[in-house]
Amino acid sequence: MINTHYLFSELVHRKRRSLINLLLVAIALAVMIFVGLLTESLQQAFQAPLADIGASLTVQKSGDVPETMNGPVLPCSVAPISNDHISRIGSILGVQAINEAVLIWDFQADSFQIVVGFDPEDTAGPALLRGALANGRFLKTGDTGKAIADLTWATTHNIKPGHILKIADRDFEIIGIVDSSKISQIATAQLYIPLADAKAIASGSASINAVHHFGQDDANLLFIKADRDKIEEIATGIKAIAGKKTVVSTPDSFKEMLGSLFTLTSRFSTLISGMTIIASLLLVARTTAAGVRERTVEIGAMKAIGWTGRNIINQLTAESFVVIAFGTILGICLALLGAWLVSFQSIAIPIPWDMAPTPHFLPGGEEQLSRDVRLTMPSPIKLIGVGAVSALVIGLTALITAGRAIIRLKPSEVLRNE
Amino acid sequence: MNKIIEAIQLCKHFDAIEPVKQVNFTINRGEFVTLLGPSGSGKSTLLSLVAGLDHATGGQVLLDGHDLSKLSEDELALLRRDHVGFVFQSFHLIPTLSALENIAFPLYPVKMAVREKRDRARELLAQFDLTDRSDHLPSRLSGGERQRVAIARALVNRPEIIFCDEPTGNLDSTTGQEILNLLLKLNTDKKVTLFMVTHDTNIAKLSHRSLYMKDGEAS
Repeated sequence: MINTHYLFSELVHRKRRSLINLLLVAIALAVMIFVGLLTESLQQAFQAPLADIGASLTVQKSGDVPETMNGPVLPCSVAPISNDHISRIGSILGVQAINEAVLIWDFQADSFQIVVGFDPEDTAGPALLRGALANGRFLKTGDTGKAIADLTWATTHNIKPGHILKIADRDFEIIGIVDSSKISQIATAQLYIPLADAKAIASGSASINAVHHFGQDDANLLFIKADRDKIEEIATGIKAIAGKKTVVSTPDSFKEMLGSLFTLTSRFSTLISGMTIIASLLLVARTTAAGVRERTVEIGAMKAIGWTGRNIINQLTAESFVVIAFGTILGICLALLGAWLVSFQSIAIPIPWDMAPTPHFLPGGEEQLSRDVRLTMPSPIKLIGVGAVSALVIGLTALITAGRAIIRLKPSEVLRNE
Repeated sequence: MNKIIEAIQLCKHFDAIEPVKQVNFTINRGEFVTLLGPSGSGKSTLLSLVAGLDHATGGQVLLDGHDLSKLSEDELALLRRDHVGFVFQSFHLIPTLSALENIAFPLYPVKMAVREKRDRARELLAQFDLTDRSDHLPSRLSGGERQRVAIARALVNRPEIIFCDEPTGNLDSTTGQEILNLLLKLNTDKKVTLFMVTHDTNIAKLSHRSLYMKDGEAS
């Protein structure tokens, strides 16, 4: 039977000890939950550039530089990926869907244009531009000889729906204008055409085939949807299939671009949380044991007047649990406050150069592209659960520490006057 | 049964030291027995053994018919809760509880209505003229008041015997006499058995009988 009045009298009258224990628990949980939330928030941010285009990872292949800058060429970062490789990649465990695209630079006598071919029915990649339509209509299955233009480029070149443009000496009718900046910095172009047309241009281009062999069913950009938990294994599998020159971009690619601090933060977050919990656990156990020592005579008197060891342990355990409960609540509040404050921050995630479609020799081509991502506060429920369990472990440790001391304590030894 | 305590061939040793050697005595219900002896003679050790605060290493103690050597620590605690009261030289009150709460403290783990616990404590508080000190913490009470609270606490479970370990040792002579009178009154009016460790031969003269302890042996 626990006496609540005695419990709160002890906590209130021994403020210093109660507060130290409460703060130790609160700080440990706050650090653990905050580090966990921050890490998860950063992980979500690293996924943002790919999430913008609906993909879990993208695949490109490095190749040789074009021999001439005449007509359609493939940038050296997007060499062809054979249809056979694409099929085999599709059979890797965890791959849910592959969306193909073809990126071409088209050099004409007095102009240059970046062209991407895609399937408008895709669920990832440039097909997501459907939501960024500014004028006209979007591409649909069966279209051929049709193109949509990027809003900025179209405005600069005064292009409107109905215009006929030359791409690799073929006529394409502009049917719509899209605002590419609304979806991503990745796989953006000035002109978007049906995938079949792009494949036909690439496979039929003498300038391209002088450097590469681009088959009729090949592609040079893959947007892959996959199980989030298997991304790293899939990336390894893709490289094994498509060769060492394959560039697979995953959320980790963006993390690495940000430097070692973020890599260390995410890699050691579990360690930091674990060490904090262990340190606080030891400190709480130590202060609890010190508390029992401080109350040795009192506990001896309690035993003498008829409190059993179990009565005393129950009472002291209840005291510990009240402290831990309040410490847990305070720790959770501090962690959530910290995470809420962090959610007002943004980080600029650099885009790797080989994912930027603009040639470096053009104005603006050498600029480092980046995607500003506002950090979000992930759901803290799981971490709070882990925190509560950790607090319980702290409580049990304190109980074991105190319990052993109490059971060993003999009233005759602490109450004697002689 | 008239005997409340019976010590038979009682021994206690800590390694080579033997503070209690082959002690035999009995205490009858309603008696006031003092235990005299110089410091280090084994008085407090003997009190611990017969009150069930410690286990003997040899011999037997029968407290109200219960063989203490056969009881576990928790069983001893429950026996003390039901049959025994303690008054210590240093009072040993709970510093964070008021006078009233200290008196009721032995009843906290007992399954009993809170109102009954409080009524019992209030009754004792009034009996010992401490009503106006009800809400005071021990730190705000005088030595005499603390010992009166301790005696009231010893009585709250309505024990048959009270063990007193130098109950006036920390008090001035006037207050000590006042406390002694209270204990004597309990013995004469309520027939509570008293077993008191003391240095004071004047107190011994007031008791029914005295045991003298020297080098671990009682006579």
